[in-house]
Amino acid sequence: MRRRHILGLVLVTAISVAALVAAFPVGAQQRVILRFSDWHLTEDVWNKSLTEGIAIFEKRFPHIKVQTEPVSYREKETKYTVESAAGKAPDVMHLHAFSLPAFYEKGYALDLTPFIEKEGKGFLDAWYPLPLELVKYKGRVHAMPGDYMTMVLVCNTDMVNAAGVSPEKFPATWEGFLDFAKKATKPGQQWGLGMVGAKDPGFSLRFSPFLWTFGGDYLTADLKRSALDTPEAKEAFAYFVELSSNHKVVPPGATSANPQDVRTQLAHKKIACEIGSGWTAPIVNKINPDLRAFEVLRAYPLPVKKKRATAIWLSSWIIGPNTKHPNEAWELMKFITSKEMELKWFKDNRVTSSRKDVSGVAPEILNDKFAKVIAAELPYGKVEPQIREWPEIMDVFTGAVQEALTGAKTADRALADAHSRINAILARRR
Amino acid sequence: MCLSVATARSTSIRTGYLFVLPALLLLLAVLGFPALWSLGLSFRAEGRDGFSLEQYRLLLEDSLFHQTFWNTGLLVGLSVAAHLGLGLAVALPLNLPLRGQATLRLVALLPWVVPDVVAGIIWKWLYNPLNGALNDVLVRLGLLTTPLDWLGAGHLPLVSVILANVWRGFPFVMLILLAGLQAIPRERYEAASIDGANALQRFRHITLPGLRKMLVVSLALDTVWEVRRFGLIQAMTQGGPGNLTEVLSTLVYKQYFAFFRFEYASAIAVVMAAVLLIVSLPYIRMISQEE
Repeated sequence: MRRRHILGLVLVTAISVAALVAAFPVGAQQRVILRFSDWHLTEDVWNKSLTEGIAIFEKRFPHIKVQTEPVSYREKETKYTVESAAGKAPDVMHLHAFSLPAFYEKGYALDLTPFIEKEGKGFLDAWYPLPLELVKYKGRVHAMPGDYMTMVLVCNTDMVNAAGVSPEKFPATWEGFLDFAKKATKPGQQWGLGMVGAKDPGFSLRFSPFLWTFGGDYLTADLKRSALDTPEAKEAFAYFVELSSNHKVVPPGATSANPQDVRTQLAHKKIACEIGSGWTAPIVNKINPDLRAFEVLRAYPLPVKKKRATAIWLSSWIIGPNTKHPNEAWELMKFITSKEMELKWFKDNRVTSSRKDVSGVAPEILNDKFAKVIAAELPYGKVEPQIREWPEIMDVFTGAVQEALTGAKTADRALADAHSRINAILARRR
Repeated sequence: MCLSVATARSTSIRTGYLFVLPALLLLLAVLGFPALWSLGLSFRAEGRDGFSLEQYRLLLEDSLFHQTFWNTGLLVGLSVAAHLGLGLAVALPLNLPLRGQATLRLVALLPWVVPDVVAGIIWKWLYNPLNGALNDVLVRLGLLTTPLDWLGAGHLPLVSVILANVWRGFPFVMLILLAGLQAIPRERYEAASIDGANALQRFRHITLPGLRKMLVVSLALDTVWEVRRFGLIQAMTQGGPGNLTEVLSTLVYKQYFAFFRFEYASAIAVVMAAVLLIVSLPYIRMISQEE
């Protein structure tokens, strides 16, 4: 009887210990699950790269499990806005720069300043100054910079040669480019330039260089009024529209073509050139490996009219305002933007980094035929106005471009209407 | 005896309410609460607390809202009319005792089974001016000499969206009308034939009056569906080119999620809900009269 009691006691103790061990894993450290969301998770090349990166992170931080949440590029703001408003946003999210002001103002991006201060003085010295400026709101850092690239012209050198132009002497002005585009166009079969004209976040990156190189701008310097009534803006707008309407050097259907459509046209030799960046060659290569994109494609600085300029692409990472694991989320963010990982993102995806100690020194970048052109353009890079109303302004502007492209309005009328509507939007802000 | 019948009846009613309660609570949570929240938001000025009619004033002044309202009316009016015409035209033969009737009915229903966004993507591909199937077929048939930019030339985009929408939505109307046709007694047609009525007369004096209620039901429900149509247009044009295909649902989405103007988006949504309520009144009245 007594033996049975002892046996029972041992059994109960063993079960209790087992239950305790199960409840509190090794090291008595609770396993934290971080929700990580990024549009790149929907893209083959990037997804593989990110999955590898996350595996390295989980190995280094065994108590953190990263749960990935793919989102489409176009729908990310919708998803994050709704989730943030409901207090259910992912712990770490990826955004492009021009969405940031709206997220800052709505309180949807956690203030990272306390974490940065803990890292010690000089932590941010590794980054270029411009991206750092863009991630600050009211003097506080609310995001960490990610990819940092300029938009360049990416051309198929075989098609450039076939048009009778030497790839070594590619036109450096818009007039010269138009001549080339005409030579490269065979009506109904192939065209000189792929044009993104859809209402897509990628539109402004590809249109802005036209406006800026012609000496125009969207808004006045104080960001209070539209600057689309200047002769330079009118000239740039007309040039862009006429590429399609008069010269017909872009494929039909520009108003519904998004960046991926245009990359597909490049991959299938429908167009000779497109405005792209570091991501272009890997994606085109994935669409059509037979093209041998890395060999055939070549990057050129964007042609110039009055001044050299291009658009800057910057992606940024934010931490959800309601995260239950801010410290772990910061660890993940620090890891993603570390020197080691930024170099990996470049090697895998050909995107250059906002870190000086990567983009400015890594031989892999400095010797890459695409990256070196992209990096050389950084001093001429410009960002779109960082104001909350920017998405609305860009919607109006893209609409005007579409109206001119479809012939619903003349270029002058469409631009004048956009000018008035943008002023009305800015007046509401004032 | 009377008392026990009354008690049983009252218990039965209570049980009935209890069964309905979970659904009612769910509806209140997922529809009632957000609707009231949006209504409240629409009466607030951006960035300020307190009651305000600011958003409704902005609505009255906003030319984009006016154009969108007109676009929505055009899209809904033409789509619903086409749905009725095509739905009836397809329902009539499907009501005949044909061989393979079940398969034909299934095929006619297919567009309705396709999700809205998928339908939008399919039509965007079909309309593609570079390698779209529609241009290819029309050029091969000699109906076109050069491919058309269906989603980007002049006023064609709205027509193209309506065409896709007609394909997407007609099976719903067809289904309702087919049910109505099946409910008309065969004897009426036989009697009319014996009396010497021709097909047109039978259609005019038997089919149409027999379908009256179903026509009202399909008209009301289809109008409500079409005012809310979002995925198809968003996937095809995102309201473009310009604002040519912008409708109320895409405008609300844009104002809310792209421009972060929650209050203004709510005001548009409230106007949209009011319009839908007005449209559904004949249907609601008809249902109430039947009860």
